[in-house]
Amino acid sequence: MTNYLIRRIIQMMLVVLLAALFTYFLFNISPGGPLAGIQQQQQRLTREDLARLRAQYELDLYWPFRFSRWLIGLPNGPITIGGRDLFANTAVGCYLPRDEQIVIQDGQRVVTPAGCDQYVYLADIPELHPAIRSSNGILRGDFGRSTVIRTGQPVWGEMMTRLPATLELMLISTFLSFLIGIPIGIYSAIKQYSRFDYTFTTISFIGSAMPTFFFGLMLILVFTVFPNLLQDQFPWLPKLPPGSRLAVRPYAVAEWLPRVQPGTGMDRFLHLLMPVGVLTFFYMATWSRFVRSSMLEVMRQDYVRTARAKGLVEKVVIVKHALRNALIPFVTVAVLTIPGFFSGAIITETVFAWPGMGRLYYEALNRSDWPIALAFIFITAVLTVFATLLGDILYTVVDPRIKYT
Amino acid sequence: MTTAAQSVTLKGLAQEEKTESQARIIFRRFRRHRLAVISLILVSLIFLVSLLAPVLTPFERDAIDLSSKSRPGPPGTIDMEGRTHYLGVDHLGRDLFTRVLYAARVSMSIAVLVVLISETFGALVGAIAGYYGGLVDLAISRVIEFMLTIPSLPLLLILSAIFLRSDTVLPLPGFLSRFLSALLLAPEREVQKVVMLVLVLVFFGWLSAARLMRGMALSLSKQDFVEALRAAGASDARIIFRHIIPNGIAPILVSASLALGGVIVTESALSFLGLGVQDPTPTWGNMLATSQSYMFQHPWLPLVPGVFLVIVSIGFNFIGDGLRDALDPRLKR
Repeated sequence: MTNYLIRRIIQMMLVVLLAALFTYFLFNISPGGPLAGIQQQQQRLTREDLARLRAQYELDLYWPFRFSRWLIGLPNGPITIGGRDLFANTAVGCYLPRDEQIVIQDGQRVVTPAGCDQYVYLADIPELHPAIRSSNGILRGDFGRSTVIRTGQPVWGEMMTRLPATLELMLISTFLSFLIGIPIGIYSAIKQYSRFDYTFTTISFIGSAMPTFFFGLMLILVFTVFPNLLQDQFPWLPKLPPGSRLAVRPYAVAEWLPRVQPGTGMDRFLHLLMPVGVLTFFYMATWSRFVRSSMLEVMRQDYVRTARAKGLVEKVVIVKHALRNALIPFVTVAVLTIPGFFSGAIITETVFAWPGMGRLYYEALNRSDWPIALAFIFITAVLTVFATLLGDILYTVVDPRIKYT
Repeated sequence: MTTAAQSVTLKGLAQEEKTESQARIIFRRFRRHRLAVISLILVSLIFLVSLLAPVLTPFERDAIDLSSKSRPGPPGTIDMEGRTHYLGVDHLGRDLFTRVLYAARVSMSIAVLVVLISETFGALVGAIAGYYGGLVDLAISRVIEFMLTIPSLPLLLILSAIFLRSDTVLPLPGFLSRFLSALLLAPEREVQKVVMLVLVLVFFGWLSAARLMRGMALSLSKQDFVEALRAAGASDARIIFRHIIPNGIAPILVSASLALGGVIVTESALSFLGLGVQDPTPTWGNMLATSQSYMFQHPWLPLVPGVFLVIVSIGFNFIGDGLRDALDPRLKR
């Protein structure tokens, strides 16, 4: 087991490293970035201004060095061994790229970089990129600073302001979906091919195939738009707030109800209803299908037949023999929801303007705030591999037949 | 004499009944899944309608009707020439019925292209991994495992954000570009973005097919008939293409039909988030996205593309379910 764990953890680190490298590379080749707007708008910027701006975002370094600075905070200067600076003259970037050539191709102007006038050497880094401004490396717990959304502010702080909203949304909907989905799955399996089974299998099917963004829009239509439009004919129809997490000013859900004050528990609850509804329906569908099929699998086993044959009450057969075994795969899959508690639900959060992590990531992508997007991907990847490992370990706990070597 | 002849014909009849062709068995079993049959009919209808899009509507895809009083306009708005906008017009005064049909064409084409490419590629890679085993298998399996571990939606968003926003032009051969332009009923310059989106979706799409086919190929390659083929001097390529892949195709078919629904939803989600196909090329996703800003006054706007999207997405899932039942050799009924 120890050997297995060590091997797995090394594999995990490799996967996370590769994922980080891959995303970093993608961001590196992508157009946009923090300087895209500036370069287009301000033609009057001198080369030196531009170089200073580039240096501010560490864009003067070559991307493998930038990556390693982002990951572990190194290189942060020449390597000093025994009082001697090594590699001080190694070029790690280009401070002043040479004027780009403009080539006319079929009447189109093509800009190509043509070399470098002033290189950045390892010895220059402490001066050009003082430790105060740049990241100490994500592995040392420093996630860098936001470039667009909260310019200059630490990414970690921004994420911490968003995390509570996502936790609230995901914990509640995951809990509810377990609460509803598992019993439905069990009952469907016990009464296979009954009307109950058919109804709920079909509903689960629809739930997992239904695009969440459309379902979200439908809920907004039914609970916000129609009551608003039909206000004159049906003033008693309740209206739910369609977006955000808290209201700004008092609002009325329906005529016959007291006005809701912003920031109160009622306000929170009303804002939660629709996004939680969408996610719960979606997850519930997945869980009930999973539990049903795993339960059906177990009911076919010989030991269940034996339990019946020796005359046990059906209830005991199902609860003590079938259910306990059916929940084994469930436990190991349920831990895979862990990364979701951090990363949230990108689409649902966007539809309901929910100020959570998923929406932060979406904004970061849209506005080219790479440090935030990178931190999001990195943490999600770490949590995902961690959850996978946890699931595999739990498997040995709940099912002693399985042993890893 | 007569009895002999009769018995011969009777025998023949009995024989015919027994050797019901494989396709007919599958069809008979599929027919039993009522929801799958209904889905198949509905999805085929939408398919047909999207094929006939230019014939079914008098309007051009991007034509703006300046006469309509309100934009967006309600269903049944009549323009200056007396033509009816059956589903109304959008915020720019473009006919919604026309756009939703053209969007069907774009969304369906993307889904079919993605699934076709990724299932073929996945099956091929999986078959090679499973058949050769050893280091090849190890390398391919690790790549698949790695890609399944990393969170796919955030990466999908990055990929489309990067490729669809860049100005890089893919070097598409002229005939392909013309073919796609005819397929999507869109001008050739819009084809570029669609091709990029297809490639982005394929990037994550081939994994399940590869895994399925690898498993099948692994067990098939150990069977006697493959050994016999090798002894008879059949080349590896022949064994893979003529024997391994055809024998493992059933689960791939099921996964393909489920994937069609999945790809349509993913593509719509990307377009909905503004990271997929952009206006003026209509897709259900970007129509939904624009409708979001107007739905408070014009609630029918999201319903138009949404209903199509839901029918197709749920439909493909039911069809896949029906196919799974029909192709399952364990159910000999």
